[in-house]
Amino acid sequence: MSAPGKADFAVSISEVGKRFKRHSDRRGSLKELIVRGRAKNEEDFWAVRDVSIDIPKGSVYGLIGHNGSGKSTLLKMIGGIYRPTTGNIVTDGRVAALIELGAGFHPDMSGRENIQLNGSLLGMSRKEIGAVTDEIIDFSGLSEFINEPVKHYSSGMYVRLGFAVAVHMKPDVLLVDEVLAVGDEEFQRKCFDHLYALRKAGKTIIVVSHGLGQLEGLCDEVAWLEHGQLQQAGNTTDTIAAYLHRVNRDEAARNPNITATRPEDDRAGNGVVRVTKAEIVSAAGDPINHAETGATFNLRVGFDVSESILGPNLRIALQHDTGPLVSMISNHAVGYDFGTIEGEQLVDIAIEGNPLLPGRYRVHIDVFDYTGSTLLDTWNDAMEFPVRSQSGEIGQGFVQLPARFHRH
Amino acid sequence: MLTDLYTRRALIWAFANRDFKTRYRSSLLGWGWSLLQPLATLVVFAAVFSLVFRVQAPPLGNGEGSSYAAFLFTGIVTWNLFSSFLNLSMTQLKASGDLLKKVQFPGWAPVLGASIVQLVQVALEIVVLMGLFAWQRNIGWTWFLAIPILIGTALFAQGIGLILAILNAKFGDVQYIVAVILGALYFLTPILYPISMVEGQSNLLATVVNINPMSWFVQSMHDVMYSLTVPTWWVIPSLLVGGFITFWIGFVLFNRGSEDLGEYL
Repeated sequence: MSAPGKADFAVSISEVGKRFKRHSDRRGSLKELIVRGRAKNEEDFWAVRDVSIDIPKGSVYGLIGHNGSGKSTLLKMIGGIYRPTTGNIVTDGRVAALIELGAGFHPDMSGRENIQLNGSLLGMSRKEIGAVTDEIIDFSGLSEFINEPVKHYSSGMYVRLGFAVAVHMKPDVLLVDEVLAVGDEEFQRKCFDHLYALRKAGKTIIVVSHGLGQLEGLCDEVAWLEHGQLQQAGNTTDTIAAYLHRVNRDEAARNPNITATRPEDDRAGNGVVRVTKAEIVSAAGDPINHAETGATFNLRVGFDVSESILGPNLRIALQHDTGPLVSMISNHAVGYDFGTIEGEQLVDIAIEGNPLLPGRYRVHIDVFDYTGSTLLDTWNDAMEFPVRSQSGEIGQGFVQLPARFHRH
Repeated sequence: MLTDLYTRRALIWAFANRDFKTRYRSSLLGWGWSLLQPLATLVVFAAVFSLVFRVQAPPLGNGEGSSYAAFLFTGIVTWNLFSSFLNLSMTQLKASGDLLKKVQFPGWAPVLGASIVQLVQVALEIVVLMGLFAWQRNIGWTWFLAIPILIGTALFAQGIGLILAILNAKFGDVQYIVAVILGALYFLTPILYPISMVEGQSNLLATVVNINPMSWFVQSMHDVMYSLTVPTWWVIPSLLVGGFITFWIGFVLFNRGSEDLGEYL
C-alpha cells in the first residue's frame, strides 16, 4: 500500500504560519512611518505557527482549541481571506466560507437583491445565482419576506438567508465557524441535515466549534491547536479527550480545590454532633476541584461528636443546581455502621465510577441518631461541586446508570 | 487583467447595483441632488468669473459670440469625472474593509462598481451640458468625439484612483493630501480660464498647466463640445492609450498592494 498522495486531500496545509503586526506597530499614517521608521520584528505576533494538516476529501474535520488558539485564523487562511506568512495551503475545489453569514448584506436592499450580492461575493456567476435563487428562498423559509429590505429581518432570518446562499454555491470544501449556534431549533436541524447531505455527497467540511459534543458526533478527524501550534490531530475521540485533559489540568492549576468549612455561627440540633467540613477528593485522597463522569471520587465529611454516641446516620443529599434532588446517600442505606464514636471524625464516601453527568451539584448534610429519626445536626448547602466530562460527551439527564445490554 | 475583470464581472456588477439602488435612497430629491451640486458650482463660478473677474470665454463653435457658463460647465463636468473617481475609489475601498475581513474577493470590485454608478451621474451631467449647448444652438458632429475622450478620462482617473485607494488604505493621510492637491490642480487646469491665457508663457505655473494631464482631457473636451473643432489627430488616440495604460498600471499596482488588504483595513 502506498501513502496517499496530495490528490486525496481536499486541503493540504504545510508548515503554515501567520504573523500579525501588533496594532500599536501598524503604520497608520505617513507621519508615523517617517518619524518612527519601520516596525520592529520582535513585536510581531504569530497567530498560527508551523501547522501542517492534511484534510482528506469527503471528511468532516474539526478544529478545536481555546479562544485565541489560532483556529479561526487558520480557517480564514484556508478560505483565502488571510494569506499565510509562511508555508502554503493547497485546496482542491471550490471553497465556501460560512465564517460570516450574510456578509455584505445591505440593509436597504431586499432579500432577493442581497442573494444576488452575497452570491457574487462568494464567487458565483449571475447565471449560477439565477439558477438557485428559488432554492435558496425555499431553503431559507423566507419567501414571504424576500422582497422586504433585510433591515426589517430578525437576526435569525438574516443568518438563515446567509446560510442558504452559502450552501447553495455548491462548494467542494465548506468552512464552518461557530455559525451553527444561531437560528431556531428547526433551522439548526435543517442546517445539520444539509451538512450531512453534503458529507454524503463527498464534500469536505471543516468545522471550528467549541461544542465538543457536537463535534464528536460530526467529525471524522479533529485537530487541536493551542497558541497557534498544532498539539494533536487525528482520531476525534482521542484528540478531544487529550484537549479536555489539558483544559481540566489547566483549570485545576488555576482554580482552588473544592472544600468547605462551616462557619462557627451556623449551628443546628442539640450540639452533640456538628458537621464542620465538606470537600471532594480524588480516589487517591488528593483534593480536587471537580469530579469526572465515570471516575471514582470521594465526598469527604468532617464532624465533631462532643459526647459518645451510638451508630449515627450520616445522610448526604445531592441536588442538581437546576433544582431536582438527584440522590440521597446514607450509611444506613448502604449498611455501614459507625459503631460508638466520640471526638473528631473524618469520613470518605466513595462514589464508585461516578455516574453523575456533567453539571453542578449541591451538597446538603444531615446527621441523625442511631434510630434515624432524631436530627442531630444539619448543614444545608455545605458545598457545590462541578462534574465534568472526560470525553466531551455531555449526556442527558443527571446520571449515567450502570446499564448493561444483553441480547437473547 | 482583462480575464480577472471578466470572471468577476458579476461581482463588480453586484456592487454597482447595490450602490445604484442605495444611493440617495432615503433622500427626497434622489438623483436630483447629483445634478444640483455641479449646477450650483456652475452658477456661483459663472457669476464670479464673468462678472467680477471678467474672464473672456473663447468664441463658440457656431460663431455666435461666446458663453462663459457653457465653457465653464464643459470643464467642470470633465474635472468632476476625474476627481469623483479619485475620491470614490479611496472611500469605497475603506468602506469595504469590514467585508474584506470576512470574505475573500478582489478589493477592486467594489471600487469599480462605485465608478460605474458614478458614470451614471456623469452621463446626467453631460445631458445637461448638451441641453445648455442646444439652447445656444451650438451643436456639431464633433460631440461624438467626446465619447473616446471621456472614456480616456475615466480610465486615467480610475488608474490613479486604484493607486490612491491602496495607498489610502495603508496610510490614512492620503485622502487629505489628495484633497489638497486636487484643490490646487483644479486651478492649474484650464477650467475657469481658457488655455489661451497661459499659452506662450514661460513661467512655472504655465508649465504646470501645460504638462498637467487633466489639461489635455479638459482642453480636448472644450475643443469638441464648445469650439466644435477636432484636436490635432494624435491627441484623442493618445488620451485613450494613456488612459488605458494608466488604468493597467493602477490595476497591477493595486493587486500587488492588496495582498493583505483584509488585515490592515
